[in-house]
Amino acid sequence: MQVSVETGDGLTRRLKVELPAEEIEQEIDKRLQNYARSARLPGFRPGKVPMRMLRQRYGDSVRREVFGERVEASFPQAIAESELRPVGRPEIEPDLDQAAGHYGYVAEFEIMPELTLQSLDGGSVIRPQAEVTEADVEETLEHMRQQRKRWEPVERVAASGDRLTLDFEGQIDGEPFEGGRGEDVQLEIGAGRFIPGFEEQLIGASVGDEPVVEVTFPDDYQQAALAGKPARFKVVVKRVEEPILPALDAELIAEFGIEDGDLERFRADVRANLERELAQRTKAKVKNQVMDALLEANPLPVPAALLAEEIESLRQQMMQNLGGAGSEIKLPDELFAENARRRVALGLIIAEVIKQQELSPDPERVRATVEEMAASYDDPQAVIDHYYADRQRLAAIESIVLEDLVVEHLLEQLQVTDEPTSFSELTAQQQ
Amino acid sequence: MNAGINQERLMKVLLGPIISEKTSLIADQSAQYTFKVEPTATKREIGQAVELLFEVKVDSVQVLNVKGKAKRFGARLGKRPGWRKAYVRLAPGNDIDFGGGA
Repeated sequence: MQVSVETGDGLTRRLKVELPAEEIEQEIDKRLQNYARSARLPGFRPGKVPMRMLRQRYGDSVRREVFGERVEASFPQAIAESELRPVGRPEIEPDLDQAAGHYGYVAEFEIMPELTLQSLDGGSVIRPQAEVTEADVEETLEHMRQQRKRWEPVERVAASGDRLTLDFEGQIDGEPFEGGRGEDVQLEIGAGRFIPGFEEQLIGASVGDEPVVEVTFPDDYQQAALAGKPARFKVVVKRVEEPILPALDAELIAEFGIEDGDLERFRADVRANLERELAQRTKAKVKNQVMDALLEANPLPVPAALLAEEIESLRQQMMQNLGGAGSEIKLPDELFAENARRRVALGLIIAEVIKQQELSPDPERVRATVEEMAASYDDPQAVIDHYYADRQRLAAIESIVLEDLVVEHLLEQLQVTDEPTSFSELTAQQQ
Repeated sequence: MNAGINQERLMKVLLGPIISEKTSLIADQSAQYTFKVEPTATKREIGQAVELLFEVKVDSVQVLNVKGKAKRFGARLGKRPGWRKAYVRLAPGNDIDFGGGA
């Protein structure tokens, strides 16, 4: 077997392989002879068909079969010999010349990019420093109350914050327009979901009123035909309701899962949750920066085969998130290309780091990670068991731990600056 | 063999090769190739037809009529049609490849 390598564009390599013709011919003959013992053709007793005829009939297909097997067997060998690391499936172009008894093929594939890890020395990372304060806890509690708010009908004029139920009919230049009608529409004054000005003009209306609202559609309205046009809406107010925030009492707390309704326990719970979230966000932020630094220090050509694979898997994920709604539309590759490129490059770099540093997930850390993840569930032990029951699920955790180890290792090379910030700022940024 | 019989007739004379253990044996042994032919075909026509279609030189032709087998279907007697077989010997250095097209 003779192997020669040609370098193509970027990461592509062409591998020219010559196969020993004699061996292949012998193999073909051997198979035909084997087959001759049982071959059936009309006009011949079984096994009495002359070789010549068999060769004529089946020679080509046997030749192809043997050739295919030889290619498959020789390719890994050829790869090993030429010391390349291929990515994805090779494209194999047979190079046959039967008359000259010449068997060979050209395999084209991409190789793993060469990677020498660059030190991240001199880079820097900003680590946000924040603490969960009483105010943050209060805010969260308030938020939870808001979520449980009820509406009570009132007999008074509408004020900001009230919810109205109304029918409306809109006209532009005296003409009704598409989408300008609504019945039993609920509108919360101050929520800003309607055209600017609409909600405000209803302040002071009471049940049974039929005010006329005049507004101008904003210039950037999503329906281009309506943008910038003034419109009159005839409105019938059917109901005015005011929000009732539930008191922060045992009943409400019980609804959130603390059965004895103890406020202090509830606060502690909320606080613990917030702290967990804060820790996660901080970690994610630092990690992101480390990854950015890593990517910058190690520019790397990405093999197209891997890129295509990653794009496909991102697309699948996106489809799933859309819940099949977008299944008819094929999302364009460009949508994912950049993200996929980053992910593939990082994957390669991180794998290299792991190899170089001989990092491995230690079982204790894995356990701790699982426990941490489980802590926010109602029944942590069940979650832990769930992860430990399945090797694959555990492997997913292990890779998270491994990634953490990589980040920690890299952080040693980076200069870390602490930046004081607040919890709400940190959470708001990433949403 | 000289021409003279029209080509249209020659194209209809040969009905097909006969490929069997016996025919492949005699093809190897004595360069005789076997055909099923038109029942009215003459040796001369057959020779010319083979020369025309396979572009070979024919040495001699032997023909025979194969009688159809008598077949009984219940009380009825039946008979399969007979056919004509030709052995065509080629001049040395010629051969025919039926291409496995049995």
